[in-house]
Amino acid sequence: MTKFAMNRRDFLSTTAAVTVMAGVSMPKMSFAADKVVKIGFLAPLTGAVAAWGKPGLDGCKIWADWVNADGGVKIGDDAYKVEFVAYDDEYDPSKARTGAVKLIKEDDVKFIMMLGGDPWPGASPVAEKENMLFSTLLPSDLSPDTELLVAPCEVHPIYNVTGVEWLAENKPELKTAVVCAQDDSLGKPSVATYLAAFEAAGIEVLGDPIFFDPATTDFAPIMSKMLALKPDIICLDTCYADYVHPLTEQAFQQGFKGQMISCTADFYEKMVEKTSKEFMDGFIFQFPDFDDPAMNAEHINFQKPNDFYAEYVKRYGKGEWSAVSWEYASIMDLWANAAGRAGTTEPVKVLEAMKVGGTGKQAFGEAKWWGKELFGIDNALVGQWPVVAIDKDGKARIQDFKSIPAWWDKHKDLLIKHMKALNQMYYQRS
Amino acid sequence: MTVELFFQTVVNATYAASYMALIAVGFVLIFGVMGVVNFAHGELYMAGAYTVVALYAGVGLPFFVAVAAGLVFVGLLGLLMELALFRPLRDNPLGGLIASIGFLLILQTIAVLGFGVRMKNVPPSTQEKLVLMDGAVLTYQRLYVILAAVILLTALWFFLRKSKFGWALRACAQDREAAVLQGMSINQTARLAMFIGAALAGVAGALTAPLVSPTPFMGHSVIVTAFIIIIVGGLGSLEGAVLVAILYAFVHTFVTTLYDGTLANIVGLLLMLGVLIVKPTGLFGAKERA
Amino acid sequence: MPKTDTNTNFLGLLGFALLAVVLIALPHLLSFSQQEILVLLVINVLLVCSYRLLTLTGEWSLAHAVIMGVGAYSSALAAKQLSFPVPLAMLTGAGVAGFLAFLLSFPLFRMKGFYFLIASFAAGEVIRLTWKWSDLTFLFGGPKGIKRIPPFPDFLSIDFYEPVNYYYLCLIVVAISLLILYRIERSRIGLTFHAIHWQDKLAESVGVNTFRYRMLAFVVSAFFAGLAGALYAHYVGAVAPNRFSVEEMVYILIWAIVGGTATFYGPIIGVVTLTILNEVILRSLDVDEMRPMFYGAILIISILFLPNGLESLLPKIKGWFAARKEKRAMTEQLAE
Repeated sequence: MTKFAMNRRDFLSTTAAVTVMAGVSMPKMSFAADKVVKIGFLAPLTGAVAAWGKPGLDGCKIWADWVNADGGVKIGDDAYKVEFVAYDDEYDPSKARTGAVKLIKEDDVKFIMMLGGDPWPGASPVAEKENMLFSTLLPSDLSPDTELLVAPCEVHPIYNVTGVEWLAENKPELKTAVVCAQDDSLGKPSVATYLAAFEAAGIEVLGDPIFFDPATTDFAPIMSKMLALKPDIICLDTCYADYVHPLTEQAFQQGFKGQMISCTADFYEKMVEKTSKEFMDGFIFQFPDFDDPAMNAEHINFQKPNDFYAEYVKRYGKGEWSAVSWEYASIMDLWANAAGRAGTTEPVKVLEAMKVGGTGKQAFGEAKWWGKELFGIDNALVGQWPVVAIDKDGKARIQDFKSIPAWWDKHKDLLIKHMKALNQMYYQRS
Repeated sequence: MTVELFFQTVVNATYAASYMALIAVGFVLIFGVMGVVNFAHGELYMAGAYTVVALYAGVGLPFFVAVAAGLVFVGLLGLLMELALFRPLRDNPLGGLIASIGFLLILQTIAVLGFGVRMKNVPPSTQEKLVLMDGAVLTYQRLYVILAAVILLTALWFFLRKSKFGWALRACAQDREAAVLQGMSINQTARLAMFIGAALAGVAGALTAPLVSPTPFMGHSVIVTAFIIIIVGGLGSLEGAVLVAILYAFVHTFVTTLYDGTLANIVGLLLMLGVLIVKPTGLFGAKERA
Repeated sequence: MPKTDTNTNFLGLLGFALLAVVLIALPHLLSFSQQEILVLLVINVLLVCSYRLLTLTGEWSLAHAVIMGVGAYSSALAAKQLSFPVPLAMLTGAGVAGFLAFLLSFPLFRMKGFYFLIASFAAGEVIRLTWKWSDLTFLFGGPKGIKRIPPFPDFLSIDFYEPVNYYYLCLIVVAISLLILYRIERSRIGLTFHAIHWQDKLAESVGVNTFRYRMLAFVVSAFFAGLAGALYAHYVGAVAPNRFSVEEMVYILIWAIVGGTATFYGPIIGVVTLTILNEVILRSLDVDEMRPMFYGAILIISILFLPNGLESLLPKIKGWFAARKEKRAMTEQLAE
């Protein structure tokens, strides 16, 4: 039923457009610009994981508005307007499968962006049958079984090594650390990464990493347990904001005076509010605000980061900016660039163009397609990643951009060792 | 385990026991009087937290005014549930359960539409803390929760023992049919039970809002804990709910601190299964009500 | 009398034939994504009908979703780790689910009513947490679950990746299962289930071993739930602990109760209506964020105004038609 309705609507709008144009005899250029390419957005939009999907779709809307106002994406001889079609996968593999089929066969999308994680295995057979290009934010979805999935933006959690490396270089007096993480598919590989990074930096990790249930709401016991080990550094791993905030607050209240490091610190202003500027001074994480002047550096490929941040804050409010706000949009930059070079929107051709020469323009700079040893396939785009620290006025500032491949070349054995120990290598994942 | 860690863990457990007791007592009261498993109880707790998000973090009212507003607002939500859902479905306990699930989905969606899917931040009303010893502290924010639990639950206890209403409430909780036969107004007692039960959850949510970063889905983890507590405690028993809340909080907090959180959850569930198998009416339950 | 009997028989057969034609033609009338939804719907029909068998004895379990998961996990592991052929793995999955229900019967059926409800919830959660537990990741895959489950193999060059083909497979499996469930309900065993529900003390006093019958209902119900799980696992290709959480259980409850559990077809009406509503109508309205609220409102409205489920509408409609027919017959008679 829906199918028919959609076709009819499309039919009506096209006929209407054609009639209008014939009537006023628009110049030929507009015809070219009226080509539309549809992009699928298959991520959780409702439920508890929606915080990892919805803000990304919001960012994509800004991206599309800007690109379309500019005349669209130039592919071959035509300019294409970009239209996003969203399907709520509810973080469920069967819904992801249904959504992938709908987006590909009914909406005729040319590329699908996913959050990844649990839903990906549901969509993966569809990707193979239909030859559709997919992207994920979670490289742990990558495996040699499919070449059609890329992780072109966030190479979670490998970039976490940059924060530890920077810390060791700038505060060599810190010698011991404790690590805690939620026990799930984000937490585990991230713990392995931090353990490797600490070992590479000569920092001793006290005790076993502390895993907690994702349903935890009271973090006082976990922080008490960590503080009892009297570490110099507390590492919050890739905790979600719901955990980072109460953990940080508990660290403050239970009298911790040392260094904190975390993968994300979404809404860090609120953490400053809950603790103090002195306490938060020097808190290290990996996700910059895009109004940071350092984002205007030569090597940044993300388009107009400062304006993007301003527009995002204007549209959705200051408190809404988070790590995923820009990520899907930056994947679109990469796709548009590849489609332009391929001269077509055909998914397989675009993928070829994306990976040509083994390098690509990742948001933070030139990067290379990598991952064979960790994921079994070179489908993750890895380059530089920013190290961010909160300054004494409570504002996050990029401290440096560090190279992940450089770290990898020196310490890959360590990372593989720790990934193996936590059963996170691609051949260990069932 | 060092001495400091031991004392800090005792403090942590006391706090956990306090808010769990507030939630579980309300849950048990509603079940006792109405015979309904209120699946939306966790969302009432969430509504209390969002009242503080809106009035304290948003509008800027004093913290305790916002907490009081949360108490009243969530209590009224409870009245609404009683009037619109549980009263028409009084002879249909499974119907009440399903209706409360429907209500839960509505409350969650309202929170999502009004405040977004992300967690909200509530700045602490104070950063003062009691330093019990080096390495063991109790913040005022947590102390408020403990005090509120002690005061409100004591007041409730006196109310149930001393007042006519309280007497009717207890009578209904123990044996509804007999209470009706004695000429008690079941509607009035049901209203009262829903108001008190919901308001207790609301207060717990309001007071813990600065401590947990509210999300629209925060009710889910609470309801499972509440289940465990009232089963182990015994379905009709308010005292049982309080005692088991304390027991559970201490076991859970110590296992979490000494081993890990998943194990603590498994221990909690096994504890509940064990009690169910050995003494299905719960540790403090009087008689079977199926 | 015998005449009307053959008449109803004939009508019944005609009805079934018509239904069969509709069910066979159905996927070809739908869009691609609706075909996907249809496959899952047929699986859910088996799930909710198996649930109803247990409710005949008066017990409401909250472990049914987890038991479906047991079938899904066992079947996936049998096919993946032990290299069983998929059809055999599916039966193994269903068998493991049934066997687990047999084991769980011993502690759980010491209780009834509300206590059983809650205890079944706790038992289910313990199983689910075991899947999530990090120490058993090598077996169950931890929170991420099991991926790349072998799909149903091609048979006579029929590709079961195609939703239409898998739908026909499910349709056959589910039809046979429903037939078995129906026969059980109509047999002496089924009558005993009813007796245990309404008069368990009386049933016991005339020598019925109520424990055994409760166990039987639980095991049969679990077997078919496990089969539904296996059908799911080899279609979607992935299972994870969260797929079988209490929220999923709530859906099963809702389908059963909104449809009504007094008749065999009640839960089927429930799951079909609510799936169409949630997956087709609400999604096409483009109100993603508000979908749970509509769903909640519909739940409340149906439970308030149709306390016996959607199935209670059918006799009313039938009665209305019958009344009209009678009226027409009367007027015709009068006219003569």
